Amino acid sequence: MKKLIIISLLLGLVMMTWAGYGLSKESDTLKIGFLGALTGDVAMYGQPTLAGMKMAASEINQAGGVLGKKIVIVEADNRGDKQEAATIVQRFISRDKVIAIVGDPTTGITKVAAPICERNKVILLSAGATGTGVVELGKYIFRDTLLDTVAVPALIDYFVSNAGFKKVAVITSDNNDYSVGLTQVFKNAIKGKDCTIVSDEKVKDGDKDFSAQITNIKAKNPDIIFFSGYYTEGSLIMKEARKQGMKINMFGGDGLYSPTLISLGGQAIEGSMVYVGFSPEQPTPETAKFIEKYKTANKGVIPGLFEAQGYDAVRILAEALQRAKSSQPAKFRDAVAKTKDYKGVSGTITFQANQEPLKSPVYLLEIKNGQFALKAKVPVK
Amino acid sequence: MLWQQLINGLALGSTYALIALGYTMVYGIIQLINFAHGEIFMAGAFFAFLMVMVLKVNIFIALILAMAFCMLLGIFIEFVAYRRLRNSSRLSALISAIGVSIFLSTLALLVFGADAKGFPDGIFPNGQLQLGSVSISFLQILIFVVSGFLMLTLQFIVHRTKIGKAMRATSQDYNTAALMGVNVNMVISFTFALGSMLAAAGGVLVGVYFNAVSFNMGLLVGLKAFAAAVLGGIGSIPGAMLGGILLGVTEVFTVTVGFSSYRDAIAFAVLVLVLLFRPSGLLGQKIQKKV
Repeated sequence: MKKLIIISLLLGLVMMTWAGYGLSKESDTLKIGFLGALTGDVAMYGQPTLAGMKMAASEINQAGGVLGKKIVIVEADNRGDKQEAATIVQRFISRDKVIAIVGDPTTGITKVAAPICERNKVILLSAGATGTGVVELGKYIFRDTLLDTVAVPALIDYFVSNAGFKKVAVITSDNNDYSVGLTQVFKNAIKGKDCTIVSDEKVKDGDKDFSAQITNIKAKNPDIIFFSGYYTEGSLIMKEARKQGMKINMFGGDGLYSPTLISLGGQAIEGSMVYVGFSPEQPTPETAKFIEKYKTANKGVIPGLFEAQGYDAVRILAEALQRAKSSQPAKFRDAVAKTKDYKGVSGTITFQANQEPLKSPVYLLEIKNGQFALKAKVPVK
Repeated sequence: MLWQQLINGLALGSTYALIALGYTMVYGIIQLINFAHGEIFMAGAFFAFLMVMVLKVNIFIALILAMAFCMLLGIFIEFVAYRRLRNSSRLSALISAIGVSIFLSTLALLVFGADAKGFPDGIFPNGQLQLGSVSISFLQILIFVVSGFLMLTLQFIVHRTKIGKAMRATSQDYNTAALMGVNVNMVISFTFALGSMLAAAGGVLVGVYFNAVSFNMGLLVGLKAFAAAVLGGIGSIPGAMLGGILLGVTEVFTVTVGFSSYRDAIAFAVLVLVLLFRPSGLLGQKIQKKV
């Protein structure tokens, strides 16, 4: 008798879960999965991305939702682990029936998630991956980040026309993949421009002595140094340049974008520049509204790049749904691919024919009084 | 530019030489390659960094304090990690040295973190001396003066003092020196103190010169200084100086001629070449097997 009761109770429980499952399945929601780390080493990218996504979803829902349905963000923590990420993507697709996944902010995990999404015809929109070979993984794979291949040509034009720079010294850290790749982008972009590379020096991550390279560079008398590596070496290079009496500055990508660049570089790094995909300074009306709302909702925290890109990702998806008038995968995908001049809070975004984003402007930050300050919003043509 | 690069190479080489001296002296006396020596160099740099940041002392005072601190550290390490192993196989002492090295660098990682730390701006005047087309920064002059002074002092101690004579005697024959009434334990402690003091000076100079102090700074520099000691002839004091300076200059000239990717590879290739033709190093004595 006891057994019978227990069995029927269990059966009842199972039935209830099924019922609940069925209910949520047919409810009036559109689910978007968040793929990213909320704990661990790369949580500093995942957490702000999710915060931006949630804010976009709640705004859209307050304005009545999309296609008459509410947007729900389904979240999971992949801890920056590739295996965990693959499991989560599977779960998002088969159990949660998401219409799209936003994330991962890192290139590595985006590449793990991409083939799974492509197979299941679910859109994957990465709000952070900047490495190469991402959108090539499938028709359903997108990203809304500023790419070096987009930013660097615009910056060269800016430096040539605004500062009249004609001679640039390039420094690469040749045991750093990011640096080697970025230098290649730079060398491709400078071809045909009114500016030449007068010095092409190599350093290594972990080097401390740059005296010989700087002496080589000094002899060529360039107008600016382009360094494609990370912040520690960047600050030491400028220290050495000042020690040898050089007055010129350095610029580089977001590999330099760290408070350590300034704390280690001190006076020597003043005037040097980095380019990034977002700055809360000098905002457009859209961005100003976003910053204000974000600050009110998050105890005065000023949003950064990942909040802005996460926010834009959800907005882009919602806008594409409106245009597609359906969440049917093929139609939805084509609508996302046709996103053109979308006025996002991190810049204007257009997906090109090869799905790569064209983003404008590039935010050029200059180090001034020990702070990163917006120097110019460089438009991308 | 060639002269300018020579100055850069000499400055880098002088710091290698300061560290190489410690390897060579310890090896000369107890035939131990003291792998913890690179970490003593790192400890000296961090100690001076702390003195400057926390106690706000002048860099010269910090330098002297760091040298004193590392003298004690060197004596302490010898006492704890090597003394008991002196009569056991040479491999045991070597493993013990590697253990001390890993212990010290891990300790520094835990205490100070993984990021490189820089000395504050203006700790040392950032000017230059112009000699024709060559400009020598005040920091480079500081390196030449300090390392030159320390090496001369060392030569004086080893060749003109009683303790120096005891050191030379111990290095020639440990047992006979002991039989002749030399207090060999004291001599060995003194050798460690002297070597560690020079390493500390090297650490502070490198820390200020390159403006970066990090937990792993001792690893590669220690390896290069060790190579410099071997290049000059391990056990030979003038050899260590020559080896250090040669290695520094080779590295810098490798970069000058445009092979910056290969600076370490070429520096070490030169080392291999020299050793092929002179197995005992440039100024080393022929190794005689005792029967």
